Amino acid sequence: MAQPAHGKPTRRDFLKVAAGAGAAAGVTGAPWVVRDVHAQQKPKVIVFARESSYVKNFDVHFQNVLMPAYEKEKGIKIDYQIQAAGGSAVPQLVAMVENKSGADLAWVQQEWLYREGLVDVTDIAEDVGKQQGGWYDEIKRLSIDKGKWKSVPKGNIGQLMNYRKDWFEEAGIKSFPDTWDEFLEAGIKLKAKGHPFGMSMGHGFADNYSWLYPLLWSYGVTVMDKDGKKVALDSSETAKAVEYVKRLYKEACIEDCIGWLDPANNKAFLTGQISCTNNAYSIMVSAKRDLPEMGKVIDHGLNPKGPTGQRYHALVPVTHGVFAHSKDPQAAKDFLRWLMDPKQFRPWIASGDMYFAPYLHAFDKVPEWDIEPRVKPFQKVLETGKLTSWPAPANRQHGEVINRWIVIDMFTKAITGTPTKTAIADAVAQIKSIYS
Amino acid sequence: MLEASRTGALAAPVRQPLGWGGLRGFVERESVFSWLIITPPVLFLLLFLGYPFIYGVYLSFFHKEVAREPAFVGFGNFVKLYNDPIFWQSVRNTIIFTGAATILKASGGLAMALVMNQNFKMKAFTRAALLLPFIVPTVLSTVAWQWIFDPGMGLFNRLLILMGLAKTGPSWLGNPTLAMVSIIMVNTWRGLPFFGISILAGLQTIPQDLHESATIDGAGTWGRFWYVTLPSLLPVIFIVTTFSIVITFFDFQLVYVLTGGGPANSTHLMATYAYSLSMGAGQMGLGSAVALSMVPVLGLLLVILTFYVRKD
Repeated sequence: MAQPAHGKPTRRDFLKVAAGAGAAAGVTGAPWVVRDVHAQQKPKVIVFARESSYVKNFDVHFQNVLMPAYEKEKGIKIDYQIQAAGGSAVPQLVAMVENKSGADLAWVQQEWLYREGLVDVTDIAEDVGKQQGGWYDEIKRLSIDKGKWKSVPKGNIGQLMNYRKDWFEEAGIKSFPDTWDEFLEAGIKLKAKGHPFGMSMGHGFADNYSWLYPLLWSYGVTVMDKDGKKVALDSSETAKAVEYVKRLYKEACIEDCIGWLDPANNKAFLTGQISCTNNAYSIMVSAKRDLPEMGKVIDHGLNPKGPTGQRYHALVPVTHGVFAHSKDPQAAKDFLRWLMDPKQFRPWIASGDMYFAPYLHAFDKVPEWDIEPRVKPFQKVLETGKLTSWPAPANRQHGEVINRWIVIDMFTKAITGTPTKTAIADAVAQIKSIYS
Repeated sequence: MLEASRTGALAAPVRQPLGWGGLRGFVERESVFSWLIITPPVLFLLLFLGYPFIYGVYLSFFHKEVAREPAFVGFGNFVKLYNDPIFWQSVRNTIIFTGAATILKASGGLAMALVMNQNFKMKAFTRAALLLPFIVPTVLSTVAWQWIFDPGMGLFNRLLILMGLAKTGPSWLGNPTLAMVSIIMVNTWRGLPFFGISILAGLQTIPQDLHESATIDGAGTWGRFWYVTLPSLLPVIFIVTTFSIVITFFDFQLVYVLTGGGPANSTHLMATYAYSLSMGAGQMGLGSAVALSMVPVLGLLLVILTFYVRKD
């Protein structure tokens, strides 16, 4: 929490200062003491909670460059507190909001669950947008609630197909499959050679919905209609998508992947058990660092196109939110404004090798995208990426559907023996109950 | 005169000033001392268990979403749960998980205690080593189990392949049935020492005379176990089993780390479902209602336990 050096002077403040300055009072006089109480209104410390990052340099830059710079410039220390990674960070943020304690501001995920606990940051977001080429449209649907910005987007954690280029070539596949049918065909060939795919479908976070939702969309299916009033999942196209995933799982995937949590696909890929998975590019980062030979043969492919001929990607957004429970939200906002200034923001983003891709058009043509050609495809995610609520509003109900894995479990139920129609009907009933 | 002095003594009892001696006497009264001793733990329980419990009960009757004001819904949350198939699946899973794990822990713990009660070399070391699963933090040991269950590199599948029993080995956490078997296995591994050590303590209180008398009466090893050891151990086994049922029923960490309740909710327990509703989906009222649904089971067990202890 922001800890004020001196807030509104109280009797205790006065006594404290008076006691400490007792001896000096004779020299400087009592009026000095009173002036001191009023002198500083700013906090000593601002607590900034962040996800346990997969990209070390990103945090190192923040700690070694940005934190000292802010302290030097403004005299306020930043306490950069680590939280759990991925989905596990959400319960911690929920607990902070519900208990009205903890950090002053945070890297926020799934803010649709607790927007009321965040302060209006419209002034900052609009200024940042004007300064840096404007915001991507899709992210506005997340950060703007009832006409006000409740968060300032930081960046997208791009999720794409991570694959072993060497094994694909050995199986005679020269380029990454363009359609889901070609993807299945490639998977069958690779599984036959002992290199199955590992597509996460467990109760994890992001790695499951980052390919299953785009797959549904590419079949022309969305979970809700545009207004978020009617369940749109109950369609024959959903059944086709479920049947496809059943085949993909049985014929091309490692059996374990329907039970995988967040780190499981990274582990399976890095231990050579699978040839393809949907993930951020953290797998390549780990391989380059710890398994250089494997690091050379990993590449990234876009999500394949579906029967509609469209290709989609799911956004995994991280935004910055200032908590309403902060003792000094204005101080936290001032820090956020400073942080989002291009002087600070661009080198910070660059230090993370674009792992967090900003939703700002000023970054569309920055040379940082060209440092590693295998990172370049992640820029496409911003262009074709949708929020998981798409086309419906990103509201609480949508968050509940995601965090209770309703759509993910529709696929896994069908895989584990529930008739496809029943699995869809169960999911639809659950979603209706959530939205009712 | 005598009468007068006696009356005077009765009319004006000597009042001691309440100094150290008086205070000491006051504190040493049984009714005062017992309250003094019991007050700190009662306050502690009220603060750290009573408050969250009462708040949980309160929330379960409200539609309470994170960061929003609660709205009273009466039994609305419970009605919603009654119609929720995932809730009923989590109830079924919890019963299967608790039942199977408790039976395995009780029978395995009894066997462990019987072995540990024998005289052999390094007995003290072995007893200490067997306590390890109980001592290691659950999250840490569960992460190790994640590796053991790994389909390609895990210990189980490696052993199966080495012994020629399987070509690739099963998917321990990817198959719904095996995932349930796996979490039962890990819970049993972790809870076995609790049974083992408690029953061992019970074993050591059985007088040797009883065994000797039974032997003179012609009882063999099995007869001595069945007619002497087991009946003497029953009170300990009963109490340990009851405690274990309660602890197993509320297990959360193990499942949260190992499967997250998947695949397809096949390992979702009531505790993990309550957590996922409250902290994941932000439905604090509904999550509290799931948690509160566990209380009757706990209450029933506590009643049985209390009656049994009193009877004893």
